[in-house]
Amino acid sequence: MNLFFFALAIQILPTIIIGFLPDNRKASVVTHFLLVAGLILGFSSSFNALVFSNTTQHNISIFGIPNSLFRFDALALYFLCIIQLVAIPISIYSYSYFKYYIERGKSVRSTLVFYTLLLVSTQLLVSANHSIVFLIFWEVMSISAYLGMIFEKEKKEVQTGSFYYFVMNHIVVYLLFVFFFLLHHQTKSWLFSDFHISPEAGKIFIISYALSLIAFGMKAGFMPFHFWLPRAHPIAPTVFSAFLSGIIIKTGIYGILRTFQFLNPTPEWLGWLVLAVSMISAIFGVWYALAQHDIKKLLAYHSVENIGIIGIGIGIGFIGSAYHSLPIQVLGFGGALLHTLNHAIFKSLLFIGSGVISQNLGTRNIELMGGLVHRGKYFVMLFLIGSIAISGIPPLNGFISEFIIYNGFFVTAKELKNYYPLVMLISAVGLAFVGGLAVACFTKINSIMFLGSERKEVKHFNISFYEYVSLGILAFLCVVIGFYPQPFIGIVNKVLNNGFVPVSSSSALLSINWFYISLIFGIIFLGVLFVYFWKRAIQNKYGRRTSAAWGCGYENVNPRMQYTASSFADELNEISKSVLVYHKNIKPSKKIFPAEASFESHSEDLVDNKFVLNGFRNFSSMISKIEFLSHTDIRYYISFILIILTIYGLIAFLWN
Amino acid sequence: MQNVLSILFCLSLFYLAVTSRVKAYVSVLRFQGILLTVLLVFPFINHFSVYAFILPATLFVVKVILIPRYINKIILDLDIKRMIEPSIQPFTFQLLVIFSMIVIFVASNILSKSTSIETIPFASGFSAIAVGIFVIIFRKKLIIHVAGFLVLENGIFLFGTAVASELPMMIEIGTLLDVFVVVFLMGIAMNKISSTLSGFDVTALGRLKD
Repeated sequence: MNLFFFALAIQILPTIIIGFLPDNRKASVVTHFLLVAGLILGFSSSFNALVFSNTTQHNISIFGIPNSLFRFDALALYFLCIIQLVAIPISIYSYSYFKYYIERGKSVRSTLVFYTLLLVSTQLLVSANHSIVFLIFWEVMSISAYLGMIFEKEKKEVQTGSFYYFVMNHIVVYLLFVFFFLLHHQTKSWLFSDFHISPEAGKIFIISYALSLIAFGMKAGFMPFHFWLPRAHPIAPTVFSAFLSGIIIKTGIYGILRTFQFLNPTPEWLGWLVLAVSMISAIFGVWYALAQHDIKKLLAYHSVENIGIIGIGIGIGFIGSAYHSLPIQVLGFGGALLHTLNHAIFKSLLFIGSGVISQNLGTRNIELMGGLVHRGKYFVMLFLIGSIAISGIPPLNGFISEFIIYNGFFVTAKELKNYYPLVMLISAVGLAFVGGLAVACFTKINSIMFLGSERKEVKHFNISFYEYVSLGILAFLCVVIGFYPQPFIGIVNKVLNNGFVPVSSSSALLSINWFYISLIFGIIFLGVLFVYFWKRAIQNKYGRRTSAAWGCGYENVNPRMQYTASSFADELNEISKSVLVYHKNIKPSKKIFPAEASFESHSEDLVDNKFVLNGFRNFSSMISKIEFLSHTDIRYYISFILIILTIYGLIAFLWN
Repeated sequence: MQNVLSILFCLSLFYLAVTSRVKAYVSVLRFQGILLTVLLVFPFINHFSVYAFILPATLFVVKVILIPRYINKIILDLDIKRMIEPSIQPFTFQLLVIFSMIVIFVASNILSKSTSIETIPFASGFSAIAVGIFVIIFRKKLIIHVAGFLVLENGIFLFGTAVASELPMMIEIGTLLDVFVVVFLMGIAMNKISSTLSGFDVTALGRLKD
């Protein structure tokens, strides 16, 4: 793995070089060049190790120095590949994103340093083998993401959103400290490769699991703990929100999978718990997304949904582990792993797309967009690929991983008789429901943003070469994984066999006939092509009639008459009014002749509103009761310290 | 010998409690530095090794030469008044110090029965920590706060020698560096503040609140 560390050295180089380059433009060019070069090199090394080497390396040496701080087993390499693969297009886009600000005279040098640190620390995080090293890189990753997030720190929403993220991170790190100390206490080692606790350990086992699931689940954004995502994602610079949503929340998934390696087999109820929480995350994540007007906030809720889908896979895997059933575990964890890769790809694609739009239009509000298809045809096509992929409909990659999870449901129902078939049926329906809502949501944003006529005047809409390249790479990956999934399934299977699922087996993953899926996808694709050319042929024959968008018989159509995003989603939002905290404020005109009237709708997050904000408000009012102790003179505080120390000392003394 | 030096150390603390001159604080600090150096050198007097002398030598340079000189320089540069400004009477302060020392000595005597500590150095170190905190609490002048902090640190050092098996030498050197940096920073901060605030009174620092 020397090549990997060499690649990391190339990537970390910009942090030093930027110090000597006062010019923003030069700094940006050098940084991005080195980052992309380092990432490509790193990706080739980790991909090579993942695909071609047959042994998992336990004791590696870095430039000749034997080392147990890092380990490159299949799981670590798989996540490394995801990170590096997705970071390449994000870094390419990053160049064009920061160029926009450099042209407007904003200094980006410090943000570039944070971006570099974020990239490097995330890669080191997943390859760490020592708990303390893991925690250090975890912290570096979180803090550099926070520092990058406050790029536009003069805005109020940026301050609050990043503060949410910061507080969340602190809680996560404290929980992780306790988690690793518990593991250390139990196994007398700090190394991941030595950690193993079986359920016979009793309380420790359950407490460790609870800590890990809360901490990593918070980072990943499972439902009760998702409140930071819709706050932090919209306000971060697009580069960071793409990275955050595509990769950083996946480190939570990585953590949960690692925990499973440490603590197995899992009890059955834990599988149910994870399955239920994930199902809730998936359904309500997408439902919340439907009610949003802010494109980035909408995508953030879709992250919650997709993390839910990944969690469903993990839940199935846990149930399989409880019953020692290999096919169930393979399908559950396999679906989760593949969906992690897929989500990283299409979510970065969508985030970059939304960044391009909001940078050109100067707004993130969907209600102010429209008719963009006439401005950038190819851009819309790329965005559409991402939308189809995330909705999980054939023939793109989102379908493949969801298909594996569906298979997991059915195999579970078949293997474990009893009440399982019924529950798995309900779960399958739930997942299908999620897919349906996602289709509705993406139909909404694609039609409102791209079709119709322009709601707000678009001054310029130009998409740079770099933006096209990065979007193109991601869209290409979506298509490849969709149409030709066999090699990727093979990789996932290899990850599962190498130290994840206890016994290597002829896998349930490979027994699905993937060739037929490719064939069906090919037929669908040819069908679409056929319809398209048929339409062209008819058009050529009879000519094409054009009129204003939504001009259904009206004279003088104006953009305000168009169907809006909130009217599109209204029916669905009405159903779930109580959970969504969905408000509508309608002032109809009551006179015979048209007079002034208004309508607005907005949705708030239940958890954020009722629990987090209220909780902190109560806490601060509780704290304000002891405000009389606060003083400007430092000597009072030192006296307090002395008093407390004396009390502690006395207690310790009397205890003896 | 260790006990004798520790007792001397305690006496210097008493002097600190009654004196009202800034100069005296600096000389007490210097005296304590010398005591600590001797205390560290003493066990190695029979079997000499260069490695063992690194810590005492650094200690001597930092505590006896650099820091007192630096504080004196600040006093001269900023023209600080030579009298300390106590917020309680010297006699009350003296009583407080005596009382806390009694408590600490009795407590350490009881402790020494169950754990392996040297009673007198341990108790003297502990007293120095207490006195350092008292100095910070009951004196207004900023430069005296620095001195109080240094007394506290000396206490920790003595404490360290009393439980030597627990504290490796590297940590002691680390703390020494720490202290030097802190004093240095405080000096810079005071230099900067002097243009805005006159009097170097901690009560004035309250006005810096936003």
